[in-house]
Amino acid sequence: MLFALLTGTLALSPIVQADTTLNAVRGQRLDVNAYAGEVTVHAWNRNAVRIVASGADQDQLEISSSATAISIRTHGRHGPPDEITLQISAPAWIAISMGGVNTNAKIEGIRAPISVETVEGEVDVTGGESLISLRSVQGSVRLRGAKGRINVNSVNEDVEVANSSGDIAAQTVNGEILLQGVNASSVDANTVNGDISYSGPIRSGGRYALSTHNGDLTLTVPEGTSAGVTVSTFSGDFESEFPVPLRGTRKGKGFNFTLGSGSAQVTLESFQGTIQLVRPGSEEDPARRKREHDRDHDED
Amino acid sequence: MTQDPWTNRLSEYLDGELPEWERHALESHLESCAECSLVVSDLRRVVRRARTLKNPPPVTDLWPGIAARIGAGIPKAQDVVDLDAQRRVRRRWAFSLPQLAAAGIALMTVSGGAVWFMSGAARQSVVSAPVPSSPPEGTPAVSVAMKPNASQSYAAAVADLERVLADGRGKLDTTTVRIIEQNLAAIDRAIAEAQRALDADSANLYLNTHLAETMRRKLDLLRQAAALVPVS
Repeated sequence: MLFALLTGTLALSPIVQADTTLNAVRGQRLDVNAYAGEVTVHAWNRNAVRIVASGADQDQLEISSSATAISIRTHGRHGPPDEITLQISAPAWIAISMGGVNTNAKIEGIRAPISVETVEGEVDVTGGESLISLRSVQGSVRLRGAKGRINVNSVNEDVEVANSSGDIAAQTVNGEILLQGVNASSVDANTVNGDISYSGPIRSGGRYALSTHNGDLTLTVPEGTSAGVTVSTFSGDFESEFPVPLRGTRKGKGFNFTLGSGSAQVTLESFQGTIQLVRPGSEEDPARRKREHDRDHDED
Repeated sequence: MTQDPWTNRLSEYLDGELPEWERHALESHLESCAECSLVVSDLRRVVRRARTLKNPPPVTDLWPGIAARIGAGIPKAQDVVDLDAQRRVRRRWAFSLPQLAAAGIALMTVSGGAVWFMSGAARQSVVSAPVPSSPPEGTPAVSVAMKPNASQSYAAAVADLERVLADGRGKLDTTTVRIIEQNLAAIDRAIAEAQRALDADSANLYLNTHLAETMRRKLDLLRQAAALVPVS
């Protein structure tokens, strides 16, 4: 193995068994490209990558290792590859780059950069550090417990980031954006058809921009928040659970106000939805609503 | 399909827009990542090549038609600003899509690199100059003549990407095509609504920004969709 790493690549193509373990060395990343199926990666405490595959013809699976990457990919002999189920165990330090078409991706416990792109699949990640980029066209994107520069993107489904910190960019076209329990100094969230909600500290010097065209926007504002807030809407409404010191009204339905000394910058825009400021834990707080929804769902 | 997380930051790196700590981190990454180094190298070649390309004049001079409609008449020579001269002074990677595409193809760079670069140029032209619904009264000829430039760039970018999508339609899953079309239609409706609102309140900063941002979203989605088309 060491000799192979030093001299080039070690090709194990095609594999003859559905359960393979390769040694992993720091500096390597994990590349997974599965055309269709389910890919699950979870962290374990070994410096090795174990791949358990099922579902597809084993000839369609190719695993290789080089000095820079452990690669797992499916390929079809005549047409697209079959659906495959991949259960991968990997060290928490390994960076992951995953792609697919009809592929659901689930990653847990990795403490390294993660990149996932799929077309018709859901993305569900717990963990990730440094650079985290998750994209799906037709599936939802869900990220929890991440730390770093976060970019989450869907086209036709919801995007959710929870209990994460860093800089966050979240986009979808036809879906909601839910940012809960995030500790970010920079947030940029926008959708065309969908609600946006944000709960988390508004950090001094931070920049928070939430924008939707057809949808409501809810910002949970903790006590003691210091921010200059700009609210803009064309035909929507503005509601607040607490008094806001309005300072001037802009043309159209737009205005500014300052909370505390105004050290952060908050921009809230909804073309034709309601923009709402709520206190943490209030009935309108999306985090509380979600907890109640999840609890009801669990009881069912 | 899979992508190194740094790949999306290479544009900012080449533009000199990364914060110092990220620039150092990326440069450190480049030392160990052959793929990213290759992309950076290729993109630098694209930039060099694109800088040598000429901006072709329009096939048809649209001004007489515009002037007739707004009653501005034919501008006098002293009223006309040499846009090429201005561009030469101000231009900062402000290439048209066809130029970039041509440069990209000619140099056979990696596909992601060309798409990346096109998006950067498109973003500059669209966001910086939202399309006005109509020229304000008394606007000098030069101002009216410059604003359609951004509009034309945007239209060209959209048309190019729509052509890529149309050509590759048969290679995409029908459900994916349907979803993309539905979402493009949703964005088009939002653009139309923002445009109508702007017609009634052309000085509204929010509406101008919102329209530009929504137009950029359409470009982003088209670009994303075009990238899904398998290269045969």
